[in-house]
Amino acid sequence: MMGVVILILVVIGAFFVVASGVWVAVALVRAISVRETISDESYQTREESSD
Amino acid sequence: MHTVSLLAVVIVYVLVLTFVAVRARAAREFAEFSLAKRALPLALVFGSLAATYVGPGFSIGFVGRGFVSGFLFLVMGLAYAVQNILVGLLVAPRLRSLKDCHTLGDAIGQKYDRKCQFVAGIISVGLCAGFAAVMAKAGGVVLNDIFDLPIWSSVVIIVGVTTLYTTFGGLRASVITDAFQFSAFAILLPMAFLFVVVFHLKGGAAAFAGEASTAVKNGFASTSIVEMVGLIAAFLLGETLIPPYANRALASRTTRISRNGFILAGIFSTVWFLVMISLGIAARGIIPEGTSEDHVLLDLVKSTMPACGYALLVVVLVSVVMSSLDSLLNAGAVAFAEDVVKPFVALKDKTSLDIGRYATVVIAAIAAASAVAVPGIIRGLLICYTIWAPAILPALIIGLWIKRPCPLAGILSMGVGTIVAVVFQFFLPEAIKVPAIIPALGAALLAYVVGHWLGRKLKVGRK
Repeated sequence: MMGVVILILVVIGAFFVVASGVWVAVALVRAISVRETISDESYQTREESSD
Repeated sequence: MHTVSLLAVVIVYVLVLTFVAVRARAAREFAEFSLAKRALPLALVFGSLAATYVGPGFSIGFVGRGFVSGFLFLVMGLAYAVQNILVGLLVAPRLRSLKDCHTLGDAIGQKYDRKCQFVAGIISVGLCAGFAAVMAKAGGVVLNDIFDLPIWSSVVIIVGVTTLYTTFGGLRASVITDAFQFSAFAILLPMAFLFVVVFHLKGGAAAFAGEASTAVKNGFASTSIVEMVGLIAAFLLGETLIPPYANRALASRTTRISRNGFILAGIFSTVWFLVMISLGIAARGIIPEGTSEDHVLLDLVKSTMPACGYALLVVVLVSVVMSSLDSLLNAGAVAFAEDVVKPFVALKDKTSLDIGRYATVVIAAIAAASAVAVPGIIRGLLICYTIWAPAILPALIIGLWIKRPCPLAGILSMGVGTIVAVVFQFFLPEAIKVPAIIPALGAALLAYVVGHWLGRKLKVGRK
C-alpha cells in the first residue's frame, strides 16, 4: 500500500514537471513571436509597474 | 542507424536553438545585455532560474544519488528548495526594488561604497569563471561519452556554441534559450521516468518501495552525520544568489514577479529532485549494482529506451549544461563591466556593451582552458559553493536589511570569508572535521561584526 502511495506521488510529480515545461514553452513562443512589442512596452512602463 | 538518428536529433536541436537565439535578437544597449531591459515575465524568470540551477549535478548527479542512497538525498535537496523560497520572500524583492542596479556588486556598492562593489565584482567574476569551468567540463564529458570525441574538442564545441549566442544576445538571449532548454529537459526527463515505470519496472509499486527502502538504509550506512550537515549547509547556502540568479531577480518586470519566480523555482526544485531520485531508484532493478553514479542515467536510458530515446537524452543533457553555462558567462561579463570597470571609469553605453561582449569571450576562454583542471563535477561545484557563500552572503544580506551598513564591515567580511574558505578548502583541508564552508561563514560573520564596531568607533572618533 505504501509503495503504491509513493509511486502515485512521484508520477503526479512527473506530470507537474512536464506541465511546468509546457507552461514555459508557451511563454517562450509568446516572447519570441511578439518580442519587439513586449520588450519596448515593458521598458517604458517598467518603473511604474514595479510594486 | 543508431549514429544516424543521434546525429539527426542533435542537428535538429542545434537548428531550433539557433532559431530561438536569433529570435531573441542581438542586444543593442547595455541595459538589454545586462538586464534584458527589466522586462521578464514570471514564466521566463521561473524557467530561466530552474534551467540555470538544474545543471549536471541536479540531473545526472541526483539520479546517481537516488540509485545509491534512495530518498535520503531528497532531504539535502529540500535545503535547496528552502533557500530559494527564503530568497524569494526576503531578499529578491529588496534587490529588485533598488534603482539602477545591474548586479550584486551594484547592490553592494549602493549599500556600502565603490571599494566594496569592486571587491564583490572581482569575487563574482572569479566565481562565475569557476562555475563555468565546471559546466564546460560536464559538457565535455557528455559529448565525449556519446560521440567519443577527444575531451578538449568536446569542451570547445560546447563552450563555443554557448559563447556565440550569449556574446551577441546578452541576458535576453540567455533567458530565451534557457526557456527552450528548460522545456526540453522538463518534458523529456519525466517522460523517461514514466516510460521506465510503465514498461520496465519489475515487481510494480511494491518492488519500487522495497528498492527505495534498501537504498535509504545503504545511504545512512555510508554517510556520516557530519557529511550530511555539510551537504545540507552547502545546498542551503552555497548557491544562494550567485550572480546569474541575482541577475534574474533584477531583470524581472516587477518585484512581485521577482519574489514569485524564486518561490516557484523552490517548489519546482523539490518535485524535480523527487523525480530524479525516483529515476535512480527505478534503475536499481534494471542496471548492474556497481554502476558508477555518473553513468546511472546514461546506462538506464541506453538499456531501456529505443535509439531515438537515447538521442533525445543527449539533447536533454546538452541542454542542461548549456542553460547553466550561458547564464554564468553572461553574469560574469556583466559583473566585470559593471563592478570592476565602471566604478573607476565613466563609460558610454556602447563601450559598456562592447566590454561586456569581450568579457563574455574571455571568461568563456578561461572556463574552457580551466575545464581540464576541474577535479570532478560535484567536487568542482562544492568548491565554488564553499567560496561563494562566505565571501558574499553575509555582506549582501546584512547590507540589504540594515539601515546604514558600514563599508569596513563589508570589506572585512568579504575578504576574511574568501581567505578562510580558500585556506581550509585548498591548503588545510585536514585541519578541521567539518566542511570548509562552515568555519568560513562563521569567520565572515565575525569579521562583519568586528568591522561594523570598528567602523562606528572610527566615525565617532572623527566627529
